Amino acid sequence: MPMEPTPDSTDSILHAALLTIREAARRGLVASRFQPDAEERLLQSIVDATVRLFEAEAASIALFEHNPDRLEFRVASGPHGSGAVGMTVAPTDGIAGYVFSTGEALALSDVASDPRFDRAAAERTGYVPRSIAAVPLISDGETGGVLQVLDKRSAPSFTMRDMELLAVFASQAGIAIAATRVQRDLPTLLAAALRAVEPSLDQAALEALLHAAATDLDPVAEAPFWRLVDEVARLRGLGANELELVGDILQVVAEHRSHRGRGRYR
Amino acid sequence: MTSVEELPAWSEPFATDRRERLARLPALDSIDRTWAWGGSTGGGVSIAIIDSGLEANHPEVKGRVVETLAVRLGGERATVEPDDMGDLFGHGTACASIIVGMAPEVDLVSIRVLGSDLKGKGEAFAEAMEYAIHRPVHVANLSLSSKSEALFPLFHQLADEAYFSDVVLVSAANNVAGPSYPSLFSSVISVAAHADADPWRFYYNPSPPVEFGAWGVDVPVAWRDGGHTIATGNSFAAPHITALVALILAKHPGLTPFEVKAVLAAVANNPREAALAG
Repeated sequence: MPMEPTPDSTDSILHAALLTIREAARRGLVASRFQPDAEERLLQSIVDATVRLFEAEAASIALFEHNPDRLEFRVASGPHGSGAVGMTVAPTDGIAGYVFSTGEALALSDVASDPRFDRAAAERTGYVPRSIAAVPLISDGETGGVLQVLDKRSAPSFTMRDMELLAVFASQAGIAIAATRVQRDLPTLLAAALRAVEPSLDQAALEALLHAAATDLDPVAEAPFWRLVDEVARLRGLGANELELVGDILQVVAEHRSHRGRGRYR
Repeated sequence: MTSVEELPAWSEPFATDRRERLARLPALDSIDRTWAWGGSTGGGVSIAIIDSGLEANHPEVKGRVVETLAVRLGGERATVEPDDMGDLFGHGTACASIIVGMAPEVDLVSIRVLGSDLKGKGEAFAEAMEYAIHRPVHVANLSLSSKSEALFPLFHQLADEAYFSDVVLVSAANNVAGPSYPSLFSSVISVAAHADADPWRFYYNPSPPVEFGAWGVDVPVAWRDGGHTIATGNSFAAPHITALVALILAKHPGLTPFEVKAVLAAVANNPREAALAG
């Protein structure tokens, strides 16, 4: 619904900014409908490639989450990887915790022979490794998570070259993950945009504006618009001829509607 | 011939009647490992392990631990206080075991900078370095580096302070491109890993930013809960150099960080034929 324009010039600047932000928010939500779980699929592709590159038994990625602070294993790959998915560890626990806390890469071999070593955490995954290499996922100076590789099949331990390759891989992943997170986190994006427009906004005003901007953009609602977005998303796999047909149909519908609806408000 | 009264203060050490005080290192080509650390066990040298803590009763380090401390944040100022949490991960104990294995009579001061209570770890790390410089210790073993560009000035100042207070900073290099402080500063001894299984083998690299390479692949180390493991990483190379620095300083007290670095370069395992061919 449109907001009522006000005579005050500051308000009308904010009003124009608000409409622009609503449009950006709408596009952002449409984009995220088209690419649900973009972050998950990206992470999965990274661990799949890691397992292939190192010929390893398993690889996994844990990301840092707040409230409570923890490392959550989001994806895994390899014949012995799947047990880790969904597992949570404290950011001060084990190899992953050390690598996350320090941002330093680390590898240990001969892990299984020491009975005291990290046994509990490994057993929760159903697989106790012989060797582990772990590197931080870093972007903008912050460590966002950890990439772990277990048991290179061709050797009992990881070389410095392995660590360097893993780190290059991980730095790319860290950057990409940070990028998908910003796009997905709509309230943060809106807040940043509003602050850029009006830096003196206090928290209460900011929250009021965010609420107004997000009203009726609720993607959970079964609104016809969002059902249409979902249908269009499903069409992505079509070939060129079929897409052209869909485009023609939509055009016919749009023209018919504009004939009928001329002069009427949406 | 100039005398001390005719020169500005900073030139004073070089005045003709003062120059004998400059007798310190022998000529570099007469420095060998016997001169550098022959017979030394590191006795009298204190080493700060700035890391995950230290398991003081681990058999590999037992008897050498003088203090176990941790940084405390949360008040107006960060402080460094006694701590009995042991080693949070095992990493500090691993580094200490490498050092004690080569320099069996050093004194270890552990400063824990990691833990759930130390989320602003850059600030905790800086506080630990400051404490080590002022305590003072002779050498600090730094296994981690700050990735924050914003903390560059703070760490640069601390590195300078250490350098001019004759506290040697040995810092593990970081393989990832980007900010890594203080390991990237010229005043610290930065160390990366090589794979030759010999704790006494190390190399000097004249191309910065990493100046030394020491054993860092498949190194047998102590780990937490009295355990052991085999570890790989630049952070296991640095303690080998820390141990050598301790041996040198125990035998030649009062050497400056610059002189220590020069001694290391003089006795490194670098191929020598190329240098002679000049």
